Amino acid sequence: MSSTATKPPQSQLSTALARDRLGVAAVVFFVMSAAAPLTVVAGVVPTGIAVTELTSISIAFVAVAVVLAIFAVGYVAMARHIANAGAFYAYIAQGIGRPFGVGASWVALLAYNMFQIAAYGGFGAIASPLFDKWFGLDISWWVLALVVWALTAVLGVRDVAVNGKVLATLLVAEIVVVFAFSIADLFSPNFTASSAPVDVTSLAGAGSGALLAMAITGFVGFEQSVVFSEESRDPRRTVPRATYIAISLIAVLYGFAAWAMISGAGPDVVGRAGTEGPDLFFNVASDQLGGRAVDLGYALFLTSLIAAMISFHNIIARYMFSLGREGVLPRAFGRTVPGTGAPKNGSLVQSALGLLVIIVYAIAGWDPLVNLFFWGGSGGGIGVLLLITLTSFAVIRYFVRHPEGEDFWHRLGAPVLGSVLLLVMSYLAISNIATLFGVEPGSKPTWVVPLAFGVLLVAGIAWALILRSSRPHVYAGIGLGARSASSVGGFSAALSSLDEKDKA
Amino acid sequence: MTASAQLPLADDLFLTAHDTVKGKCLLSPATLGLGMASALIGELVLWRRVDIVDGKIQIIDDRPTGDPAATAVLDQLLREGHHRAVRDWISFLATGVATDLVERRLARSALVQRQEKRGLFGAKVSFVPSDSMIAGWPATRIRTFIGRGELLDIPDLVLAGLILATGLDQHVFVTLEARGRGQLFDQLKRRLPAMLLELVGQAEAAVGDAVMARRA
Repeated sequence: MSSTATKPPQSQLSTALARDRLGVAAVVFFVMSAAAPLTVVAGVVPTGIAVTELTSISIAFVAVAVVLAIFAVGYVAMARHIANAGAFYAYIAQGIGRPFGVGASWVALLAYNMFQIAAYGGFGAIASPLFDKWFGLDISWWVLALVVWALTAVLGVRDVAVNGKVLATLLVAEIVVVFAFSIADLFSPNFTASSAPVDVTSLAGAGSGALLAMAITGFVGFEQSVVFSEESRDPRRTVPRATYIAISLIAVLYGFAAWAMISGAGPDVVGRAGTEGPDLFFNVASDQLGGRAVDLGYALFLTSLIAAMISFHNIIARYMFSLGREGVLPRAFGRTVPGTGAPKNGSLVQSALGLLVIIVYAIAGWDPLVNLFFWGGSGGGIGVLLLITLTSFAVIRYFVRHPEGEDFWHRLGAPVLGSVLLLVMSYLAISNIATLFGVEPGSKPTWVVPLAFGVLLVAGIAWALILRSSRPHVYAGIGLGARSASSVGGFSAALSSLDEKDKA
Repeated sequence: MTASAQLPLADDLFLTAHDTVKGKCLLSPATLGLGMASALIGELVLWRRVDIVDGKIQIIDDRPTGDPAATAVLDQLLREGHHRAVRDWISFLATGVATDLVERRLARSALVQRQEKRGLFGAKVSFVPSDSMIAGWPATRIRTFIGRGELLDIPDLVLAGLILATGLDQHVFVTLEARGRGQLFDQLKRRLPAMLLELVGQAEAAVGDAVMARRA
């Protein structure tokens, strides 16, 4: 071939740096593993049906996928231009302004923590009856939640990650189980192809916001794809492709599984979801597959939940590390254990928060499945939806000011369309929050969750304004992350500490 | 009692990165590599062989330095003229190249020795200070100067900067009181030349990068 003749001489540096470049499949795997298919299909969907009494969930998955795909066009385009891609607040800081960026970073921290802690409740609630069934042990949900909490806390502070191959194996097994169980649903004696899950009119009807908020929890994690912008083989192709593939895979898998389960559950799916909860997914398929397959499914459900907890805990700890380095959170969070590189302080705080919530729920006697797992998960989903919406506007504003290198569709077309759709979705989700939580309109949870996000956003903005006048050096670096040379590690902190003294 | 003679920058950092009692490395291999890479580039700046301007390495003198480790890096820089970004070079040298060069240089002067540890998964070879006291030299020197209120020379300022950038300060600067700390920071800020300031900043960013990407 002629191309070999013009190839530049072999560069040791390029070869060494290219060795760990990621391809499309690796990025898709990473994104999907944060999405935890069984947790969504067997955990969120049946609980959501029971709480909201809505069944049009498949079409909601598809609708959310379409909106996110449109959003992703501008999102991945902007990722090529900025540092610290992968964190919504980085986009918001650079697109809308640093104060909003700090506010968004705090909102994200709350939303991510809600997911993490929701998972503890979900594990306890789902494992407790299983331990009774399998081993005849009657253990309270919170004891089991504390066991997985302790495991996550210990591994987190030592920064032990679940091996990539183990994660990949678990993920493939999960997808196979979801798919196999859904196929089995088709042959269930009760099966009648239901049109309710795919009823398009439901997206305009009452409770549509609740459906969309539920669906969005299934996609959380897709935003992490751009983390690899700098480490992918071909930044212009690898990351966008992986993002679209992950979004479509999630939509198809979840949409199909939800449809098959609802169709196979018979006429009273809402009632069954209420009494059977997460068991519904397994029960519907059990006629065809037998007890052994169902036990395997349950076991996988639990292990994947644990793997997701450990991964998510690490993501939160690193997120706090990055914020600590920037000086947006106290600088102590920007420190690691020198011998291991573990971002210890972020991990400790996350664990402390988790412990507190588990104890409060245990003492108050609140339901771990509905009040912790579902409310936490879907509340976190609303937080992420709000962040995505803000990010979408940030993308527009960024490209208005830096139009170089991207065509109209990437710069403006898709971002504007996506922003409008996301704004509508956010409005629907917030206004339907009572339906989502299955409570009376105006009752406590319906305003506590949005208020918490609002308060954090405003507090973050205020903190950024304080930084702007008191520590301009720190303010200038907001949104650039640990990767930026202006980050606040020990050395930069040493330099900036004098800035302040000089002024005084 | 600044007992020891000053070693090349990377050697001093290598020793500082080891426990003064057991000789164990205090940094993860990845972070140690980033420190060694930055220190070797720093040596070339101190030798007046390269400049660092706007995140890029510029060769200003291609004569060997007389030191095998620094010269090896200079040769590689000359061979790969199309790559200039400091961050790329730090990442590349940190893949094991820099640590290897420094270990060999220290072994030649008998300051470190090869240690083989048999474990469950085969033997692990590492280099540890041949005398655990040696590991404490550079940090003690810095602390002594600071304690007396004296000025550090430029190589020791870079060393102090890299100690902060790699997080080693959590081990070696804990005994510094607030005043000493303030003096050290003040010297770093006022006396570290801009090029070296940029190098240490890049080193710190690379360390943060490694943590975020789970490579640390």
